[in-house]
Amino acid sequence: MSHPLAARIAEQHARAARALSAHLPGAARRSAAMEALAAAGLPGSRDENWKYANLRPLERASFTPAALTAPDSAADAALAAALPARLEGFARYVFVDGVFAPALSDAPAAGPAQFRTLGAFAESHDTPPAALLPRGELGADQRFALLNEAFATDGAAIHVAAGHEAARLELIFVASAEGQLGASYPRVELRLESRGQLELIERHVSAAAAASFVTSAVSAQIGRGAALDHYRLQELSSRAILFDTLTATLAQEASYRLHALGSGAAAARSTLSMRLAGERSALTLSAAALGDRQQVQDTYALVEHQAPHARTEETFRGISAGRARVAFNGKIVVARGAHGTDSRQSLRGLLAGPEAEIDVRPQLEIYTDDVRCSHGATAGKLDDHMLFYLLSRGLDHDTAQRALKWAFLEDVVARIEVAALRRQIEERLAGRMQDGAALRELI
Amino acid sequence: MTRSATPMLAIRDLSVTVDGKQILNGLTLELPAGEVHAVMGPNGSGKSTLAHVLAGRPGYEVTSGTVTYEGRDLLALAPEERARAGVFLGFQYPVEIPGVNNVYLLKAALNAQRKERGLPEVDAFEFLSMVREKMQLMQMEDSFLSRGVNEGFSGGEKKRNEILQMLVLEPKLAILDETDSGLDIDALKIVAAGVNSLRSPERSSLVVTHYQRLLEYVVPDVVHVLVRGRIARSGDRTLAAELERRGYDWVSGEAA
Repeated sequence: MSHPLAARIAEQHARAARALSAHLPGAARRSAAMEALAAAGLPGSRDENWKYANLRPLERASFTPAALTAPDSAADAALAAALPARLEGFARYVFVDGVFAPALSDAPAAGPAQFRTLGAFAESHDTPPAALLPRGELGADQRFALLNEAFATDGAAIHVAAGHEAARLELIFVASAEGQLGASYPRVELRLESRGQLELIERHVSAAAAASFVTSAVSAQIGRGAALDHYRLQELSSRAILFDTLTATLAQEASYRLHALGSGAAAARSTLSMRLAGERSALTLSAAALGDRQQVQDTYALVEHQAPHARTEETFRGISAGRARVAFNGKIVVARGAHGTDSRQSLRGLLAGPEAEIDVRPQLEIYTDDVRCSHGATAGKLDDHMLFYLLSRGLDHDTAQRALKWAFLEDVVARIEVAALRRQIEERLAGRMQDGAALRELI
Repeated sequence: MTRSATPMLAIRDLSVTVDGKQILNGLTLELPAGEVHAVMGPNGSGKSTLAHVLAGRPGYEVTSGTVTYEGRDLLALAPEERARAGVFLGFQYPVEIPGVNNVYLLKAALNAQRKERGLPEVDAFEFLSMVREKMQLMQMEDSFLSRGVNEGFSGGEKKRNEILQMLVLEPKLAILDETDSGLDIDALKIVAAGVNSLRSPERSSLVVTHYQRLLEYVVPDVVHVLVRGRIARSGDRTLAAELERRGYDWVSGEAA
């Protein structure tokens, strides 16, 4: 980390620590994270896996949590209008600039999934969940999670009890503060006990066109035989900056289906680390990213197979238009002893403009025998045969291209099993492509 | 044979290369309105090239000759303009386009054509009942409507889908590129019934085929035999049967 940046973060952290209520839990955790961050530094563009990320916004970012600097959110009503439509059956919890907003949220209810805010631990005698990150060797890929841990004062802690009934929750993180006024640190800590089931929607949206600076961190512990269906939608304003880190650990026979759709922000970087630690655990990662104008959508996904007979199916579809850069770097490591691993990667990028950039990169490291690992990666323009077929039916060039771009994302969108959510996403994607009204016909 | 003064389609001295290789070599053919002509020929004779050039597929270079459709220079039109002007190509290998819905394509195609003719967009309800009616003729299941274009279709289903699109678009000039290939006899009859249902004094069809089989059900007014990129022989429907009996070598030998 460059010295001025390190000094600035440390100084802002110290001021934030003084301003925070002594009752807020996790002070020790925050300062430990700050110390670790000061020692390790944030990654730079020369670090492996960070080549495509846009790190320049860090130079002018304010790291102080917006919740400390912005006026108390009396503007809840205005924010409510910015929220997406309710999805039936999903309990909704909203965070504004990383801090729980009870007025916009359901009352936490009893059920198989217990929702608590990290702030709520201040009023109880419970100890808040342990640090999200293990101490010790923290690679460059975990350092934004460290930044989150150093500054986050609130967040969602979700505990799903052992059992069969599936719980459904929706978390919405609204970024409202302008970047100069402060940053936000959305944080989610998930724990699924054995055979627990959770459908979780995690949205990141903006209030108006705020140029927010968002550093989010999510951790998931998925217990034996538990199943997590996780929908992550990044729909921040086109001026926002996002650094996101997700880590997940799967126990024996656990299943994790992660759907990630990124279409917002000026620059978004998502770092995913998933560990298949238990035998016969199964991961499905389906990701789509849309970039336009000068957007940067960068994802690094590390999947570690550490136990025998685990499966991974990884699908990425990215469309880059304008002068955007869309990157997906998917690395799968099969450790010694993880025999019977079955992993598949299908990464495809679509270039929708002469100045657009697409980088799809599958990587495979195998340290054991008896595995089945396949990968395919393509980056190119629209399929000429498909295009001619549509033209030969009388569709004009623009309409035909839009239809094919839409079709390109289908592999990812079709997997979204919550029908109402899929429809919202389709509407959103249609709106993000030029002449969305015409595309809605496709839905 | 007598010909009207302005045929629906007039191809004169057409020569075409693909990747520098000469495929069509001075082909001349006239198709009057109301007639069905078959173009037969051995593999590699240029049948599919002719079909694609007429539809405007990129990658074909016309080195000489003209193609006139209803008095217009067809080769000057973009593929989508040809389609909107009433030219339809039934593909030999229809592509699968997962994610683009069949109904969407049918509607978008029909509306593109209507817009060209200054007509308003088709009413959604009327459109669906019209499509359902034509699907019945093609013996297609309702579930087809919600599927992606040709997605997971068998070879026969793809061909039936081509004919369904043709029935919805009601082209003036239908070019069917080996629509019979890969069809069993039942599917062949269904496809033929679809093609025949569009026969009228205002419409013409160019049926490109390798075998005589389809022509038993879609009876052509004229049969042309294409050999090495030009019409080697034309005749009435009995020519198809004779070709079947004597093989293409008979005509190829004459043309050489």
